[in-house]
Amino acid sequence: MYPFEGLFSLLVLSMVLKTQALTPTHHLTTTDVARLQAVLSQPFTDLKSAYYSVVGLSKLGILVADADETCQFIKSNLDPSSVESLFYAAEASQALSGCEIPVSNDTRDLLLATVSEDSTASQIHQSVSALSSLGLPLASQEVVSALKARISKEDNVLTIILALQTASRLSQQAELGDILEEIEDLAARLDDLSGVYLQFEEGLEATALFVSAAYALSDHVDMEPPLKEDQVIQLVNSIFSKKSWDSLSEAFSVASAAESLSNNRFHVPVIVSAQGPAAISHSQPFLRLQVTDVLCQPLSSASVLVESASTSTSKSAILSQAPFTLREEVFELNFMASQPASGYYQFSVAIAGDSRFVANHVELKVKVSTRVAINNMDLSVVDKDQSIGPKTTRVEYPTKAKASFMADSHQNFAMTFQLVDETTGVELTPHQTFVRLHNQKTGQEVVFVAEPDSKNLYKFELDTTERKTEFDSISGTYALYLMMGDATLENPILWNVADVVLKFLDEETPSTIQAKTLYTPKPEIQHLFREPEKKPPTVVSNAFTALVLSPFLLLLILWFKLGANISNFTLSPCTILFHIGHAAMLGLMYVYWTHLNMFQTMKYLAIIGSLTFLAGNRMLAQKAVKRYTISWTISITWPLSVVWAPPKCIL
Amino acid sequence: MSNSVISVISRFLEEYASSTPNKLKVIDAYLLYIMMTGALQFLYCLLVGTFPFNSFLSGFISCVGSFILAVCLRIQINPQNKGEFLSISPERAFADFQFAHTVLHLVVINFIG
Repeated sequence: MYPFEGLFSLLVLSMVLKTQALTPTHHLTTTDVARLQAVLSQPFTDLKSAYYSVVGLSKLGILVADADETCQFIKSNLDPSSVESLFYAAEASQALSGCEIPVSNDTRDLLLATVSEDSTASQIHQSVSALSSLGLPLASQEVVSALKARISKEDNVLTIILALQTASRLSQQAELGDILEEIEDLAARLDDLSGVYLQFEEGLEATALFVSAAYALSDHVDMEPPLKEDQVIQLVNSIFSKKSWDSLSEAFSVASAAESLSNNRFHVPVIVSAQGPAAISHSQPFLRLQVTDVLCQPLSSASVLVESASTSTSKSAILSQAPFTLREEVFELNFMASQPASGYYQFSVAIAGDSRFVANHVELKVKVSTRVAINNMDLSVVDKDQSIGPKTTRVEYPTKAKASFMADSHQNFAMTFQLVDETTGVELTPHQTFVRLHNQKTGQEVVFVAEPDSKNLYKFELDTTERKTEFDSISGTYALYLMMGDATLENPILWNVADVVLKFLDEETPSTIQAKTLYTPKPEIQHLFREPEKKPPTVVSNAFTALVLSPFLLLLILWFKLGANISNFTLSPCTILFHIGHAAMLGLMYVYWTHLNMFQTMKYLAIIGSLTFLAGNRMLAQKAVKRYTISWTISITWPLSVVWAPPKCIL
Repeated sequence: MSNSVISVISRFLEEYASSTPNKLKVIDAYLLYIMMTGALQFLYCLLVGTFPFNSFLSGFISCVGSFILAVCLRIQINPQNKGEFLSISPERAFADFQFAHTVLHLVVINFIG
């Protein structure tokens, strides 16, 4: 039992702590409200836009300029046979003062007939609202049962929102409990986006209409809506994050949501913003806060209190439970009266005064800035071996030292100073303390950092031999500047303290004077084509060509000597064709070498080659036959000649 | 030693001149021609350089290929080898020689650049 209770209380505590942390990140500023008003004040073209404009402006608390003209417009555009038209006219005329829509019995019957299970939720909503605005009686219980039937048939978000709106126009005696429960179910359907936004996937308009409907109904039955504070803030973020609206209906829904969130009986979100930057200084010692509702109307009944104010580093509170005073709708507090040191402070502010306030604990970061003064600026030239005592010159800000200081390789140049708060005299350590040496002739500048020691005394020493490289060993007169800055300083300083003449050993030739040529165009690279290979002289080539062709002569001579001849050349067509084809193939080889590619050559070779082959085949066959017949003849006739020889020989 | 070499060579030449048929001698002359051409090309390459190396290669391989094909033709035509080439008549050998040369020269011309 006890562990369970302990766990439960821990859970509640964590939830409470969590709810305390959430504050609105998006809200309407006065310019946004003015823009919303401008959108709703556009001249209207039909009854629907007239309804949105008139009723929307009335929610923002603004009366329409020419009420009579608008009333005339409404009356002339009214179509008594359409429920929708009657709804727009009735609601708009209700918002205008002194505008009465004439109602006939037929109109009333039409409206009453629309209240049934068969009409859509929007039709029921329109007819009930019209009846209520026109002051006609209606049967609340019938409406409730029709709505319940409608909800069970169509379970979507817009239907339920319209049901909530309708229920808020009914008599308080009706049984609205079931419809009231729908608020909780609908709230469960909202999408939580990274803990900051809470909206329906149907969009901004649906979310805004839900808020206005839920609060309208809750106010009507005087029961707190089941929305947690965190959820209310997340809804505020979703609805007021969009600062320009696509359509009149969207602007209208945002206006009605804003009105219901600033005027209902249960939850009023509080928007706290600092007027201008949250920065305090001696010239501006007051921290000013604007505390408004979502419509940027100041909450004058609130009382604003600083619960604690502490620096970001230490947790000790400088202020505790200090109230703000209200002056011309702005809450202000003189923080400088507590004499804070400069820096950043974390403020925890509570807004009380109304139990309806939501998100009434705010964390603010406040900057306290101050002016800095430089004390005891001492410049000296110290000998390295410290045989001669340093000569110290004191310089007052913002004057410059009269004499210039000389430092060469035997001496160091030193500078010490203190930085204090102008008013309190407290020592300061700003973020940026630089010593800049600027060579006026060459334009070169070198910057060093001055560091404070443990007693917050700033020291800077320049050793010429050590720092040779930074200066590129260029001797000359350098102007010494002290540069100081910080976010909490109101007066950043650039002070030409003195001139220093530096002498370096091994001065390099001033060829390095020009600025480093990092960004000048580089020399152009000329593309070098591949050198063609060296060829042997033409004489040599020609000589060797002749030499290589010479064995052909030798061949001819040898063949001649051997007696090779073409006496056996038969002039049959295939022989001629074969030789022509062969010559053509050799010619094709030459043409291939000079003009053609492999594919073309293969093509021609196929043609010529096949012709040559056929002709050659024929020719060789003929030759073979001839040879064979000759050899056959010889082989036959020779034995015969022996046989048939005259017997004389044998004898 | 040199005496015997000289006598062997002279005897060989005598035998060659007398017993080789004329047809074969014609082919032998052709072989000699091809060999000299190839040798001269190689000599050029050694002396002057291999600058168009692909041309040198294609020329040299043409000589070598032609030499080989001519040797094949000589072997197949030789009447003394008739027993080994029963199915290949001299005409057929010549036709093969022609066809192989066509292919060889196609490749050579392709490579000569």
